[in-house]
Amino acid sequence: MSSEKIINEKSSETVETKLEVAKKETIPVVEPKFEKSLAEKVVTKFGTKATIGFIKPNRIRINAKKENILDVATFIRDELNFDHAESVTGVDYPQSKEIEVVYHLGSYTEPQLAKQVLTLATRVPREDIPNPGNDSTRMPSLRDIFYSVEFHERECFEMLGVYFEGHPDNRRLLLPEDWADIPPFRKDFSIKGR
Amino acid sequence: MSTIAPEFRLSRLIASLIDLIFWIIVIFTLIGLPIVFILLFYIQLPVIDDKLLTPYLALTWLADPSRTLPIIKSLMHTDFFRITAFPGFGFAALLAAGTIYIERKLLAKIQLRVGPLYCGKIEGILQLMGDGLKLISKEIIIPAKADKPIFWVAPLLFVGTAAAFISLIPVAPGWVVADLEVGLLAVFAVIGFFPIITILSSWSANSKFPFIGGIRALHQMVSFEIPLILSLLGIVILTGTLNLTEIVESQQHYWWIIFMPIGAIVFFTTILAELERIPFDLPEAESEIVAGWLTEFSGMMYGLVQLGSYLKLYAFAALFTILFLGGWNGPMVWPPFPQEIITEGIKMGPITMHVPGLPLLDQEMLNGTLWFTIKTIGVILVILLPRGVFPRIRIDLLLHTGWYKLIGLAFVNIFIALALVYAGVLGPGGLIQ
Amino acid sequence: MTTSLPPGIQLEKADDRIMTLNVGPQHPGSGHMRLIIKVDGDYIVSCDPDPGYVHRGEEKMAEYRNYIQNIPHLERPIIHDSCNILYPYCLAVEDLLGLEVPERAKYIRVIASELNRCVYTLYWLAIYGIFLGHSTMFMWPMGDREFCIDLLEAMSGARVTHAYFVPGGVRNDVPANFEERCLRQIDYFEKRLKQYEDIFYQNPVLKQRTEGTGVLSRMDAIRLGTTGSVLRSAGVDFDVRKKEPYDVYDNLDFQTQVLKEGDSYARSRVPYLDMLESCRIIKDALKKMPKSGSVRTKLKPNPKGGNEEAYRRVESGRGSLGMYIVSDGKPEPYRVKISVGSFRNLICMPYLLKGEKLGNMPAVYWSLNYWPVEADR
Repeated sequence: MSSEKIINEKSSETVETKLEVAKKETIPVVEPKFEKSLAEKVVTKFGTKATIGFIKPNRIRINAKKENILDVATFIRDELNFDHAESVTGVDYPQSKEIEVVYHLGSYTEPQLAKQVLTLATRVPREDIPNPGNDSTRMPSLRDIFYSVEFHERECFEMLGVYFEGHPDNRRLLLPEDWADIPPFRKDFSIKGR
Repeated sequence: MSTIAPEFRLSRLIASLIDLIFWIIVIFTLIGLPIVFILLFYIQLPVIDDKLLTPYLALTWLADPSRTLPIIKSLMHTDFFRITAFPGFGFAALLAAGTIYIERKLLAKIQLRVGPLYCGKIEGILQLMGDGLKLISKEIIIPAKADKPIFWVAPLLFVGTAAAFISLIPVAPGWVVADLEVGLLAVFAVIGFFPIITILSSWSANSKFPFIGGIRALHQMVSFEIPLILSLLGIVILTGTLNLTEIVESQQHYWWIIFMPIGAIVFFTTILAELERIPFDLPEAESEIVAGWLTEFSGMMYGLVQLGSYLKLYAFAALFTILFLGGWNGPMVWPPFPQEIITEGIKMGPITMHVPGLPLLDQEMLNGTLWFTIKTIGVILVILLPRGVFPRIRIDLLLHTGWYKLIGLAFVNIFIALALVYAGVLGPGGLIQ
Repeated sequence: MTTSLPPGIQLEKADDRIMTLNVGPQHPGSGHMRLIIKVDGDYIVSCDPDPGYVHRGEEKMAEYRNYIQNIPHLERPIIHDSCNILYPYCLAVEDLLGLEVPERAKYIRVIASELNRCVYTLYWLAIYGIFLGHSTMFMWPMGDREFCIDLLEAMSGARVTHAYFVPGGVRNDVPANFEERCLRQIDYFEKRLKQYEDIFYQNPVLKQRTEGTGVLSRMDAIRLGTTGSVLRSAGVDFDVRKKEPYDVYDNLDFQTQVLKEGDSYARSRVPYLDMLESCRIIKDALKKMPKSGSVRTKLKPNPKGGNEEAYRRVESGRGSLGMYIVSDGKPEPYRVKISVGSFRNLICMPYLLKGEKLGNMPAVYWSLNYWPVEADR
C-alpha cells in the first residue's frame, strides 16, 4: 500500500512523529463491522446491480448502474434509514468517456448512522461535444427519493451537463444566464492561462 | 489622520469656536477692508451731513448703538423677522441642525463608537455643513419615466408644509408667527398634508420600491393621525380653547401632563410614527425596500427632505412641550435688565452714554424662550433615544397598534378629561384653576 | 416582441395584482445574491433564489493547484471563517497522504476553529440586526469581533486571511504568552456577549417580529437536508463535533444547543448560544493543551495522494462543511468538491418565504444563516 510506504519514510525522517506513527501502527486494523454489515445488506438485496466500492471507518461506497440507481436509492432510504443527501458531485473522466455522479448520503434520524456517510456512485456516458439536456448524458433524478438534492442536481447539470430526468426544474443556478460555453467543470474546459 | 479618537473636552470645543470667530474677524479686517479701500479709488465718497462718508465713519455710524438699536428693535417686531428668524424658520433650522449633530453623537456613544470626528476642528462640529455642501454638489438624477413636475415639487412641498407647521408654534408670550384662534385645528390640518406629499412623491417616482414605501407611509401616517387627534381632545376639553397661546397660558400653575399622562404617552407614540422614526421607520425600511419613498431622490432634493424631516421633528417636540409640558412657563431665572442703564446711561469712565431703545428683548420673553428651548430639547432627546434600542416594527403590527390599542387609550384619556371637568376639578369654574 | 431571448432569461408577465420585485445584488437587504420575489400586496407569492453573483469556480481552480497551493485558495469562499473551511480540507488531505497530526496542533486547531466561529457568527448577527433596523445590534457585534480577530492575528499573523491550517498541523506555533491573553480576552468577550440578551433577544419588538415566522418543522428540516443552526433550531440534535468528533473534540466538554420551535427567533438564537459554548470550549482547550510540542508534521516536497478519495466534514458556523477530494496520484487533486452549509440550506428559502409577509423577508432570509459567497463558491 503506497500510504504505508509514505508513513515509513516519514518516520525515518523526523523523530517527534515517530511516537505518533508508532501509536498508529500498534492499533490493530479493525475491519469495520458495522459498515460491513450495511454494505452487505445492499449487496445481498441487489446482487450484481450494486457493488461495493470500499469500506472504511465511517465511509462506505456503493457503485450502481444508472438504470438501477432509483431502486438502490429507495432501498437505502427505506431500509437503511439514510434520510438526506449531503452533496451531489460530478467527476469527469474523459479517458473512460464517463461522468461519475456521486451522492453523499447521511442520516439524522438514526442515531447509529450519525457518523456514517454513504457514497452512492453511478456513471453516465459522456459525449465529446456536449449538448446539455439533449444528449445521452442523462440519468434519473433522485429528487423524489431525497428531496434535498434539488439544488445540488441543478448545479451538477449546469457544471457538467448531466441531465436529470424527472427533476422539475433543470435550470441554471450559479452560472450567468447567457453562458454559452461547454459546462465548465469538464476537463476539456480550460481556464485561461493554464 | 489619527485613528484613535481623542477625549472630548469642553474647553477645547469652546477654544475652537473662539478660534473660528477670531479668524472671521481677522479675515474681515485684513482682506475685507482693504478691498473696500481699493474700490474707493474708483467710487466717489458721498457727503452726508457735511461730513465725508469714509468707510471708517460709516462703520462708526453703523456701530453707534443709539442710532442702530431702535432700527433693530423695530425690525424684530416685523412679521418678516418672525417668519425667517426668531420663532420661525431660522430658530427651527438652528435647532434642527443641532439635533442632527446631537443625534449622531448620542447614537454613536450608545453604540460604542465616536460619531462625526474629523469635520471641524473638534469632535466633528462642522459635519452638518460638510454634509450640506456635499448634497448641494451632487447631481440630481430624475428617473426617465417619472412624473417630472410633481417629482420636482414634492421635496419643496415637504419643507413648505414643515415650515407651515412651525409657524403655528408659540415660543414666548406674544412671539408666534401666526396666532390663530383655531391653532390646534390648523395643526391637524397641516399634519394631514404630510401623507399626501409622501404618496405624491412616491407615485411620481414611477418605481417599485418607492411605491411600496409610499403605500406603507400612507398607511402608517393615516392610521396614526386619528389617535393623535383624539389624544389631544382631552386638552381641548380641559382648557376650552383651541388657541395654542392660551393653552400655554392655562398651564401657569400646573402642567397638563400631570392630569393627562395617558394622553401624553399616546401623543408621544403617534408623533414617533408621524416622524417616521425608529421603531416606526417602515417607509424607509432600508433592508426591505431600499430607501422607501426616498429612493429616487438624490442630491439637494434628498437634503431638502431631510431638512423637512428634522424641522418636523422640532415642530412636534415643540408641540408636545406646548400642550403637555407647559410651554414657556417656568421660574424666572433670567436676570432683570439693570434699570439704571435706561435712566442714567452707561458709565464708561468720564463718558456717560444714553442709549435709547434698550432693552431689545424683555426679560419675560427671554426667560420664556429659555424654558421653552430646554423643554423642547429634552423632548427631542427622548425622541432620539429609541433609535439606539429598538429594531423596526412590521406593518401589520403597526396598524394593529395604531387602530386598536392607541385609539382605545385615547378614548380612555378623553373619558378621564370629561370626568375631571364634570366633577368640577378642572376646567372653567373648577376647584383648581 | 418577436426577438428570441437567450436561454435562461424570462420575460416578466405584466400582472395587475402580482408585482415582481428584484431583491437583487444591489440591495441593502439581500447580501450578494438575488432573490426574485413575486408579491401580492404584502404577501410573497413565490420566491426564486438566484445565487451565482460571486461564483468563481473555486472547485475548478483547485484542480490546477497542488495541495499546498490550495490552502490560501480554498479559504476564500468564506474568508471570515477561514479556519473552518480549511479544516475539512486538511483532514481529508491528511487521510489521503496518511499524515499524523501532533497533539498540540490539534488543540491549537480547535481553538482557532472556535474563535473563527465566533468571528463569523458575530458578523452574521450584526447583519441580522441591521436587516431588522436595529443599528445598535449592528455596531456592538462588529466591535466585539475585534477581540477574537485580535487573538487570531496573534496566532496567524493576519486579521482575516489566516491560511493557518496546513495538512499536518498548523503553520506556526502560538506566541509566548498567548494562553493568559486568550483567557483574559475570552472572559471579557463572554461578558459582552451576555449583554446581547437584554438589548436584542429580550427586545419586545424583535420577539414580535420574529417569533412564529418562517416556521420549519422537524420533519421538513430533515427532509430538506438542512444543516447547522437551522437544523438545531428545529429540534434535531446533530452537531458534527459531537456525532463524528474530529481532532480533540471528543476530549472537550460542551453541549449541543438545540431549540424546538423552528421559527426565525430560534434560528437567530442558536448561533448565539453556540458562541457561548465556543467560549467554554476555548477555555477548556487552553487548560488541556500540551504545553509544548511540535505543531506541524513535516511533509515531503510535492506530496502526492494515491488513487483514492476522501470525504471529511466539520461543523462550521453555517453547518456541516464537507470536503470531497478525489486524487489520482498527481500533486494536484483530481476533483475537489466543497459541500457547504449555505448551499444546503438554500432550499429552505423558496420553501419558507412562500406565503410570508414582505416585512418578514429579511428576518426569515437572513436567519437561515446563508452566506452567499460560500454558497456560490
